[in-house]
Amino acid sequence: MNMITSDKDASKILNNPELSKVGIVGVPPLSIINILHQRHLEILDLDAMLVVKDMETTVAMLPRVYCAILRTVVLNAMHLKLDAIIIDIGPGKCDGALHVASVLEDGLNIPIIRTNNSDHEPFGNPLCLAKMDMTEKLLAITERVKSPLIQENPPPPCRPTVGFWGVPPRDFSILGLFPDTTNIYGWTRCMENKTPADNIMEAQVNNDIPTVFFAQTFCAKTALARLLARKHPQALYLDIDVNTGSSAKAKIQAFLELSGVEL
Amino acid sequence: MILADFGTSYSKFLDLDSPDPQPYIKATKELDRTLKVGIATGHNGKRFSASYVNELIALARGGEALIEEDRYLLLDCGSRDIKYIRYQDGKMQDMGWNAECGASMGFTIELLENYYNLDFNKLPTPSKTFSVTCGVLGISNIFDAITSGIDEAEAVASFVKGIAINAYRFAGSPDKIYLSGGLCDNRLFMDSMPCEVVPLGRFVLLAGLEKSHQLSEAK
Repeated sequence: MNMITSDKDASKILNNPELSKVGIVGVPPLSIINILHQRHLEILDLDAMLVVKDMETTVAMLPRVYCAILRTVVLNAMHLKLDAIIIDIGPGKCDGALHVASVLEDGLNIPIIRTNNSDHEPFGNPLCLAKMDMTEKLLAITERVKSPLIQENPPPPCRPTVGFWGVPPRDFSILGLFPDTTNIYGWTRCMENKTPADNIMEAQVNNDIPTVFFAQTFCAKTALARLLARKHPQALYLDIDVNTGSSAKAKIQAFLELSGVEL
Repeated sequence: MILADFGTSYSKFLDLDSPDPQPYIKATKELDRTLKVGIATGHNGKRFSASYVNELIALARGGEALIEEDRYLLLDCGSRDIKYIRYQDGKMQDMGWNAECGASMGFTIELLENYYNLDFNKLPTPSKTFSVTCGVLGISNIFDAITSGIDEAEAVASFVKGIAINAYRFAGSPDKIYLSGGLCDNRLFMDSMPCEVVPLGRFVLLAGLEKSHQLSEAK
């Protein structure tokens, strides 16, 4: 049930001896990650900023007014010499990815495997709860998307002082504003848990701590972020496009200070 | 110690060491570039001080210092941006800062007043409101209205009213607004707001800096 591309076609692509460098979008099903690991293939997470190229070069393939993460996916795919792309297009990613899969298939001469990751075996989310530098924490969580293994020696949970709800941002520069005692919620938590389509987990929040509800501008998750922020007693809703402006950073700083968060 | 709010068009100062500290204003373009102050806020503030308080914090602290209620909305309309803080039960509940559509704020209003040689304190509030979501597109409404035979002053007033309505909606359409910034002196703008408006003047951020200073001294 995890595959949109037929098992036969996917198997043919994944077992091609020429395959070396594979791009992934979203959280691929564990069964796929296992195969990539068994074959010792290079895995590149296309949601992350992997190339230093002008975003404008994507305009030939995607509208400018589009989710910055998906624009980054296209930018990476255009400039990295990939042998195949595995893209999750189910509710564990987004409708945007569904269409971006078609764009990539049309624009790049490489096989595209479409998945619908409905994995529900929880791997846990110790990093989301740990006392740890926020940038390091998000880097560790996003890096783990490539691993089929449960984390060894997970860090202990900390007493949270603030919450960050949302997806890993395209621009990590906002993360440096948060204290090490920030707990992470939303899709990032689902990502670490390897259950990206768990919308119940995605909507979980902690009403006892001030929380920043973040979504990428033009992402459908802005609706959920705003809804949850409206219902939370101490919330800041924030959407950011490609790069973080000074007013967005000032909002986070002000929110944390005025909420009495120790930095 | 000198506290300063360095705005895009005007900078505001308060010298705490003077016998009777009173705030004063200077045009930002006339400032000495080597000037240094004790604590700064505002768009241009980081250049002039080693100690900087961000504008939203200064605004919020200013509200705490000047407003006695524990539930209120404080809106600051600057030359290039608008920002608000909403407090409930004495705690910050919500905030917003629109720095991207600054073309539709104080700078444009002052520009139009000078260009058309108008006095916004004498113009009546117009019945018509231009829909202003962007200053540049909004100005084209003025030109279109003038071309269609509407009086220049009325057209500009409709634009100013559109800006006021836009700021009101940005702030969440509250019943009452505490207003900060130079537009407190603009009667047309004030009267165009479709809610009760309490003007606090240009020095709210300075009051916020003073409170921030007191808080850090207390630590």
